[in-house]
This record gives sequence, structure tokens and C-alpha cells, in this order.
Amino acid sequence: MIPLTEKEKAVLRELQGDLPLVKHPYAEIAERLGIDEPELLKIVRDLMARGIIRRVGAILRHRKAGVKANAMGVWSVPEAEVKRVGRLMAEDPDVTHCYQRDPVAHWPYNLYTMIHGETEEACERIAKRLSEKTGIASYRLLFSTREFKKESLKIIT
Amino acid sequence: MDDTDRKILNLVQKGLPVTSRPLEKIAEPLSLTEDEVLERLRRLKEEGIIRRIGAILDPRSLGWVSTLCAARVPEEKVDDFVGVVNQHPGVTHNYERYAYYNVWFTLTVPSWEEVGKTLAEFSKKTGIDELVHLPAREIFKVRVQFEL
Repeated sequence: MIPLTEKEKAVLRELQGDLPLVKHPYAEIAERLGIDEPELLKIVRDLMARGIIRRVGAILRHRKAGVKANAMGVWSVPEAEVKRVGRLMAEDPDVTHCYQRDPVAHWPYNLYTMIHGETEEACERIAKRLSEKTGIASYRLLFSTREFKKESLKIIT
Repeated sequence: MDDTDRKILNLVQKGLPVTSRPLEKIAEPLSLTEDEVLERLRRLKEEGIIRRIGAILDPRSLGWVSTLCAARVPEEKVDDFVGVVNQHPGVTHNYERYAYYNVWFTLTVPSWEEVGKTLAEFSKKTGIDELVHLPAREIFKVRVQFEL
């Protein structure tokens, strides 16, 4: 891991916010930073090559974009089967996230899937399909009843 | 939102090229002008469908750690608890879900040590002791784009 230079930090500080919605967004940012556009583009591409920037793109409020329901599926999977089941679930297009986590007190589940669908019923059907496909019958779907916070992380302050 | 909006959103979620005129790449395959794309993006942002257009960073690449936290909070204390937790800049997603643990949030900080310290501080400030975190042992999939 190569530490970030001050210049790179300044670039990240700008880009972790909003890209100006203009034809030449990088020219505008470069001007703010007091560097020229080709230098800025080079720094951004380098940060992408190092995996620090995943991509420059849009993040949606998916509820407003029509993907209305999301459920966290929690599954209790025998330890020896976690890898097989995790991979099977990850293949499913309606599953956006799939993680293995260790059980904790009062919570025996060890596989987590984020499921997105048009409605809660659709999420339930997807979960049932996953259960049948993997043979894992012990699971619960946790719908979010309130959203308290959702924002992008600002790692450079 | 019309079909053209959906096509634009699908492309812009996948990522813009890092070039002097990134919107060219969106406009061209859809036979639109850059100005038309800009106008639509501004509207979609205004309507709140687009939360942000910018760099999506990978905190892990800088050695940061992420974990899912879960708390059992009595109904009447939820607002206070959430008020304290949400002030932390490393808390990016926070939801109420009805289960044994009813408040679920993600925490991203520079180290595992910091996770422990932060959660201890949350407990101290709020009096909520049933607060656990569930680090990922294995990640099978992460996809944040939605095909519209």
C-alpha cells in the first residue's frame, strides 16, 4: 500500500463529493486545485489503477429509482457448506451482497444476503427460491422499517 | 422517468470514463448530445433519483475496515441511540429492522482497534450494552449497481 500524497488527498477530497455536472468536470476541479487538467486526469487514473477509486459514477436512491423493497436475508448454514451455499447465492441476480459472518449471542445466522425486489412479496419469493436452490431452510428476511442514514463514506478529511 | 433516463442511469452507474469529456461516452451510444445528457442528469439529481455522481472509493485499499453492527435498543430509546450513532462519519448505512437486534448499521474506520473503541463509546453515551458487530469472514458478492 503506497501512502497518499497531499496532492492525491486533495483530489480525493474533491471527488468523494459531487462531480460538477458540466461538459468538462475535470477542468473545473483542476482549476479549484490549481493544477492543470491532464495532471488531474493522470492522478485520478493512477488512483483507479491502485484500487483506491473503484469507479467514478452515479449512486442512486434505489427506492426512488423503482427498486422499492430491500431485505436482509440471514441464513443459518452448516459450517462445512458455507462456501458452496455462499457462491450459489452470489450467482443470483437479485442478490446484490452476500457475506459470511460469524454468529453472535442470540443470533445464530452466518450467511447474509441483501435481496432487492419490486415489493416485499417479491423479496420473499426470491428468498424461497434461494432456499430451495441451496437446501438451506433456516433463514429469516429482515425488511428495513425505517432508514436512519444512508450516505457515501468520506475517508479523506 | 422514461426509457432514455433508465438507459442513462444504467450507464452512469457502471462508471464514467476518466477523460476530459466523460459524458461523450454516455451520449454517443444513446444518440444524444452531451447537453441533453447533462440536462437529464441534472433533473435526475434534482428529483433525488441520483444520490451522487462522483468517485466511489474503496476504503479497504487504504487499510480501513468495515463491519456490520447490530444493537438491541428499547423502542423508546431508538431515537436517542440513532442520534448518537449517526453523528459518527464512519456510519454510512443505518436501518431499523425488526429482530432480536433492531438497529443495524455499517461502520467503516481506519482499524479494528477503532471499531472496538467506537462501539464502547456508543455504549457509554447511550447506555445500550447489547451492541455487537459482525465482521465479514468472507465476501461472496458486492454489487451496488441496479439494472433499471
